[in-house]
Amino acid sequence: MLGRGLKRKLSDYEENMAGLSSAFDSSRNLPYPLKRQLVLNMCLTKLQTYKMLVEPNLHRSVLIANTVRQIQEEMRQESNQQPVNVCAGITPSTHSYTGMESSGISLQLPSGISQQESNCCDLRSAEDQIENSLLIVSDDDMSSAISSILKDLDFVEDISPPTCLVPTGDDQPKFPENAGLKLEDDRQDLKGAECVFGSFEISNSTSYLKDLAIDDIFEDIDTSMYDSDFCCPPLTPPRPPPLATEEPLKTFPSCNSSSANNIQICRTDLSELDHIMEILVGS
Amino acid sequence: MKTHGRISALRKMKCFPCQFANTIKSAQFTTSALMSVSFFDQADIISTVEFNHSGELLATGDKGGRVVIFQQEQENKTQSHSRGEYNVYSTFQSHEPEFDYLKSLEIEEKINKIRWLPQKNAAQFLLSTNDKTIKLWKISERDKRPEGYNLKEEDGRYRDPTTVTTLRVPVFRPMDLMVEASPRRIFANAHTYHINSISINSDYETYLSADDLRINLWHLEITDRSFNIVDIKPANMEELTEVITAAEFHPNSCNTFVYSSSKGTIRLCDMRASALCDRHSKLFEEPEDPSNRSFFSEIISSISDVKFSHSGRYMMTRDYLSVKIWDLNMENRPVETYQVHEYLRSKLCSLYENDCIFDKFECCWNGSDSIVMTGSYNNFFRMFDRNTKRDITLEASRENNKPRTVLKPRKVCASGKRKKDEISVDSLDFNKKILHTAWHPKENIIAVATTNNLYIFQDKMN
Repeated sequence: MLGRGLKRKLSDYEENMAGLSSAFDSSRNLPYPLKRQLVLNMCLTKLQTYKMLVEPNLHRSVLIANTVRQIQEEMRQESNQQPVNVCAGITPSTHSYTGMESSGISLQLPSGISQQESNCCDLRSAEDQIENSLLIVSDDDMSSAISSILKDLDFVEDISPPTCLVPTGDDQPKFPENAGLKLEDDRQDLKGAECVFGSFEISNSTSYLKDLAIDDIFEDIDTSMYDSDFCCPPLTPPRPPPLATEEPLKTFPSCNSSSANNIQICRTDLSELDHIMEILVGS
Repeated sequence: MKTHGRISALRKMKCFPCQFANTIKSAQFTTSALMSVSFFDQADIISTVEFNHSGELLATGDKGGRVVIFQQEQENKTQSHSRGEYNVYSTFQSHEPEFDYLKSLEIEEKINKIRWLPQKNAAQFLLSTNDKTIKLWKISERDKRPEGYNLKEEDGRYRDPTTVTTLRVPVFRPMDLMVEASPRRIFANAHTYHINSISINSDYETYLSADDLRINLWHLEITDRSFNIVDIKPANMEELTEVITAAEFHPNSCNTFVYSSSKGTIRLCDMRASALCDRHSKLFEEPEDPSNRSFFSEIISSISDVKFSHSGRYMMTRDYLSVKIWDLNMENRPVETYQVHEYLRSKLCSLYENDCIFDKFECCWNGSDSIVMTGSYNNFFRMFDRNTKRDITLEASRENNKPRTVLKPRKVCASGKRKKDEISVDSLDFNKKILHTAWHPKENIIAVATTNNLYIFQDKMN
């Protein structure tokens, strides 16, 4: 089907994840940082998967992003309370949390911890060391994962900007001398709001398109219609949204990210789209 | 309305109803109550179920964009102790899949919600919505047709005018009942995000539609514009932490509506306060129980459905593990909380991994607001009696329905020794979920939708 996201295939990774999550649920002996790391991995994996979809589910993305933020905040607070001691004996497998090597995590970390139990005097500090080393690797990745997924969600063209009416009567009773000021502020806010949305429209989803080869996007679309003579109007526009004339121009600037190839394709499509728009507008 | 020879207007039902007229004893509610069952095998995944205001009609929407309406038979005079059964009344294609060429997105035709309008004349009206477009459908019956045209033959061919020697007035003659559905209004292009709720106002002239970030107010007669009454989209999308999950108008106050969020809060808004209802009149939120805190606390607190009671004094919310009843006069905590499947609390990580934690269960009140009902997994559904504080778990499954069997209440064994006839948590089938249930507005008749099947249970009164 056109526009559908990629199907997730059951892989070894997922089988391991299923095993891990049931281990999380059933075992009470799993140390808290390990549980937290597991949840974090799952969240980031989901966000990555959603990023590949054409239209990620906003509700789920927000919930997962909030969970990641919460874990991130918790880890930050803990790292602020304890000094960072990098122990030479930390197994390198701990750095692989973002990779698809969770089997490493499940098998090696518990044993790694028990090894350090015997090696280091203080178990807690060993776990913290693992945690902190992970923290160093992960913080930026998490923030960028959250920002990019949420930015991508706004690539959907916003057709109904908020009705920022001048609030004449709905606020608390204001003193007359402030009323003039308030109106001015609102006008500036309105302009500010418009500017924000303006910038959104241009800067949307550069990362989203960077990840996909430009050919993948277009290979599903049947362009045979556009190859033929434009004089005959075979196009029945699907209920054009009110900003129809402006939309193609707004979405296409997002193409000018990766390669000259992309730009070429975009330019060709731009001129074809101009053509189509002329027909639709009926000039 | 008689039911001889129905013809569905646009599409024939692939599977006709298989009627198992079972009687099932329900021990918890009245001692001599029996439940009879109707069962329908749908061609596609059911996505919404709704009774109309009289309860005579039951509408279902499915993933393929179709609406199927069932009608209750007139009560049989000879069997006055049993209510009429539901039969297929009309089937039509409400929404088609669309492709948004400019955004390269496919718009699903799945019907997210159906809401009936109260009946004003012979025809019935309902609103159905998919992710982006709301449609007002008129369902009307035709049981007469004109016969005796002067210029047309009975089969529709035109007569040669020169052969007409006398004139006659066409008369209406009875015909086989035909139920027609026609779209009267199409409300489109007002939602950037996916519509999750529609709710008709008590003035019966306006209605609201809610998506993830905005709520719009429409007039039923006007399709080319709507008013935005709630907008929670932040200026910077990276700051987004909360989305709207459901919205509903108050059943009696035409200026009041509520909307629930993914953070477990419900906001009550008064449209008289301002044009843009971004400031709530009331905020309903229960402080979190610290002993239940987990990584998934926020996810399971997300409210999947909100429903006012018929009286308008209470509202009910459904989150992942519980059903809560709120008194509109008390904002800081619900007045009643019912655990739907608390045994899942220790399985949250697995449920998160397989995405079941995001399942959106609905809930409903009975006509007298004394019982609430919601669905669960393994094709179980639960009812809570607010007065007696008793609850029951029942199963909607074909295997358990033999003629005249007594349907046993089910029980899930959370841990420890499993008693006979109990089901352990690990053997629950999480693919068999009951998300949509509906209760007849006046009688003890319920409609329960499993993935592909619709069950109608009736409480047989003696």
